[in-house]
Amino acid sequence: MDRRIVITGMGLLSPAGDGPEALAEAVRNGRSAVGPITRFDPAGFPSRIAGEVPEFDPVEGLRKDQGRYVKKNAKVMARDIQLAIAAAARAILDTGLPLGDAKAGEPVLPTIDHARFGMIFGTSFLPTELDDLAVPVQAARAGGEFSLAGWGEHGIPQMFPLWLLKYLPNMHACHAGILWDAQGPSNSLTCSDAGGLIALDEACRILARGDADTMLACGGECRVSPVVVLRCCLLDRVTTSNDEAASACRPFDEARQGWVVAEGAAALMLEPLDAAQARGATVYGEVLGTGVGTTTAGVNTCDEDGRSVAAAVGRALQAAGVDPSDLGAVLAHGPALDVQDRSETAGLASALGPAARQVPVTATKGVTGNMGAASGLADLAAMLVLAEDGQVPPILNCDRPDTEAGVNLVTGGPQPLASDHILATTNAIGGQTAAAVIRVNRQR
Amino acid sequence: MNPLGPTVEESWQNLLAGKSGIRPIFIFEASTFPTTFAAQVPDFDLSPYVRDAAAFEQAGRNVRFAMAAARMAIEDAGFAAHTGPYGGVLPRMAGGFDPARFGIYLGSGEGIVDFITLVTAIANGTRADNTVSTVGFAETALRQCNAMRELEQEPNMPANHLACEYGLEGPAYSCLTACAASTQAIGEAADLIRLGRADLMLAGGTHSMIHPLGVTGFNLLTAISTEPKAEPWRASRPFDRGRAGFVLGEGSTMLVLEELEHARARGAKIWGEIAGYGSSADAYRMTDIHPEGRGPAASMQMALEKAGLRPEEIDYISAHGTGTTENDKVETLAVKLVFGEYACKVPISSVKSQLGHLIAAAGATELMTCILAIRDQIVPATMNLDDPDPLCDLDYVPNTPRKTPVEVCMSNSFGFGGQNDSLVVRRFVP
Repeated sequence: MDRRIVITGMGLLSPAGDGPEALAEAVRNGRSAVGPITRFDPAGFPSRIAGEVPEFDPVEGLRKDQGRYVKKNAKVMARDIQLAIAAAARAILDTGLPLGDAKAGEPVLPTIDHARFGMIFGTSFLPTELDDLAVPVQAARAGGEFSLAGWGEHGIPQMFPLWLLKYLPNMHACHAGILWDAQGPSNSLTCSDAGGLIALDEACRILARGDADTMLACGGECRVSPVVVLRCCLLDRVTTSNDEAASACRPFDEARQGWVVAEGAAALMLEPLDAAQARGATVYGEVLGTGVGTTTAGVNTCDEDGRSVAAAVGRALQAAGVDPSDLGAVLAHGPALDVQDRSETAGLASALGPAARQVPVTATKGVTGNMGAASGLADLAAMLVLAEDGQVPPILNCDRPDTEAGVNLVTGGPQPLASDHILATTNAIGGQTAAAVIRVNRQR
Repeated sequence: MNPLGPTVEESWQNLLAGKSGIRPIFIFEASTFPTTFAAQVPDFDLSPYVRDAAAFEQAGRNVRFAMAAARMAIEDAGFAAHTGPYGGVLPRMAGGFDPARFGIYLGSGEGIVDFITLVTAIANGTRADNTVSTVGFAETALRQCNAMRELEQEPNMPANHLACEYGLEGPAYSCLTACAASTQAIGEAADLIRLGRADLMLAGGTHSMIHPLGVTGFNLLTAISTEPKAEPWRASRPFDRGRAGFVLGEGSTMLVLEELEHARARGAKIWGEIAGYGSSADAYRMTDIHPEGRGPAASMQMALEKAGLRPEEIDYISAHGTGTTENDKVETLAVKLVFGEYACKVPISSVKSQLGHLIAAAGATELMTCILAIRDQIVPATMNLDDPDPLCDLDYVPNTPRKTPVEVCMSNSFGFGGQNDSLVVRRFVP
């Protein structure tokens, strides 16, 4: 990249709490944030635990007009959207860019060019909330069998008129764009678990080609919903160790049984280094390179040899100009699903070559569960905090590390962080892979 | 693969012949819905387009369209059809290249919700107070839902299927910026090639929202036209005074984008050149477009600048032209803002008058018509433009295609929710 791109703001809502520090602290202390599902009654499902985001203030730090907008429109925002716009707001506020005076008619961020402020979101399919359809379905049945004729005549008129807007996967970008007057390039990437890091990849490309001066990269998803849990159960992706919530998600552990579903959103604010330096911004780190790939092994599996992960990692390292032996840590996806974990470690082993036995590999899913599109960005945000310890924290619940992993999994206690170069990876089942190499700025 | 035909040539000839793809909905029983018509792709056999059609049993229409369109695009690009077993495709393709440098970028809609099972499970879980017991829901849904059919609803499934079908190991992306998605996909795919991240990109869009919840959602927003039920081909009326919303379409268009030297080296036929791409956001309101067309103007402006062209060098604009009151009025303003005095001289048309609105697949399909317009020196018409809206006072090529010199075209897509994308495509001049 010709333009050096740095991270100047971070926002994170994870099951561990509000902010990168909350996740960093939970990871440092090995404290699981997984518990019984409370967002709905999970009794009918084989998997009944999740990483849920604790209550958060959706308008914290916002201008009054923004706060009004968020509150007024909450009813047309699915949980995924609410989480994402809150994480985005936290990242933007974290940059220290001054807010304009709304009463004086100032723009929301008067020191930047709003036409050159863009946003890229990693998002997903947003399933309907069941209650939204309850009354219309009853009306359509009219005492008998459900029929499409009955739905057309009696069901549709009972629906919330803005129902569709609540669930469109591009509404995170729509609302965040309105709230922050971001008129630059905007995209909504639907790449499942890899969505967050792919959003980072695209945001950096847009900055590099000069189409924007400030970019937000955000990934957010809520998998703690009846429809998503249903799918995960049908597809055998989730653990059923409901009675041992804290130890249920076991990345790279011999006894791993699958994901714990989770929710969360992570956002990074990006700008060129010269602009950040000129305004005296706090620089958390620099994005050195990103890489994207895909599996070709099948739409419901991952490649056993890890070639799709290796491809993304190799591309990111090459773009960064970083040799694997210069990496201080790898933030693996590690969602604790056998096929996904094994593909990832095989890919890392292959891409890192001889360095694979040295570079510490850690993962945070043991703490949070699988936050989907928030993955990767959440790990980076937490690591930018953890790097100050000079240590790479261990993988929670990885008690008996997969002996065939072929990489240096951090278990038991932390390992030293020998370099400021951090690699983050994510891989979606049946789909996209992504990786990013960043340099942590410990002199901030 | 679109409502006007299962091939590029057939749909193009039908478009120029003024035919409409809009018919009463036959995909599902829609007779009591506020909207009873759409532009649908006739049923087709997937087996000529894929190695194993049985593997697509639970796939949605979006995936089926994508597989068919991609197969046609890949063959048209001069790559041999697959003959070998799973995973053995690309190395045998003519021209020899690195599968790791063949990527995918789709503007891709979600799959089709299993509506009847969903509502059955909801009905079985509904309590006296009209809330849904998830326990009752789960009991029915776990028993009746098909796991693969659920998986196929994920919006990245078309891209995933294509990567697996053709062994494409390059960078893969899937985006869903509503109606702008495939224009954005093509623009970003071109950027990846320019950056050297790939030599080839399969780029385009696929979507069908012609299913009970899709039609319900748009009817609730009063975004789609409901009349005239007896003559549905007259319902999509971009820029006409009597316009009353868009008509849902479905389908897929796929393009193979290739780095020029790579294409030259293998002697590929070149259809055209992606000259410029612009992306912006309205950042205005959730349901309304900025009244002065700020966002659309910004994406058009950026695409022109990237192409290094003056407005007068654009010979044809493929409009977003949905046929909603708001869009067509604001789009007219935005074109005037960017093109100045030339705005009233450049031919502009909306093929949505015949094809309906393919949502995530609309942009790629419209870019294809631009490329064909350059080849045949003719621009398609805006049909049903009988009574032009005085607020839409540009040259919208009413009702008859026009023979005219066409070297450079702009294709515009403005997404619901405010994401705007513009592409400039030109004849390739060696």
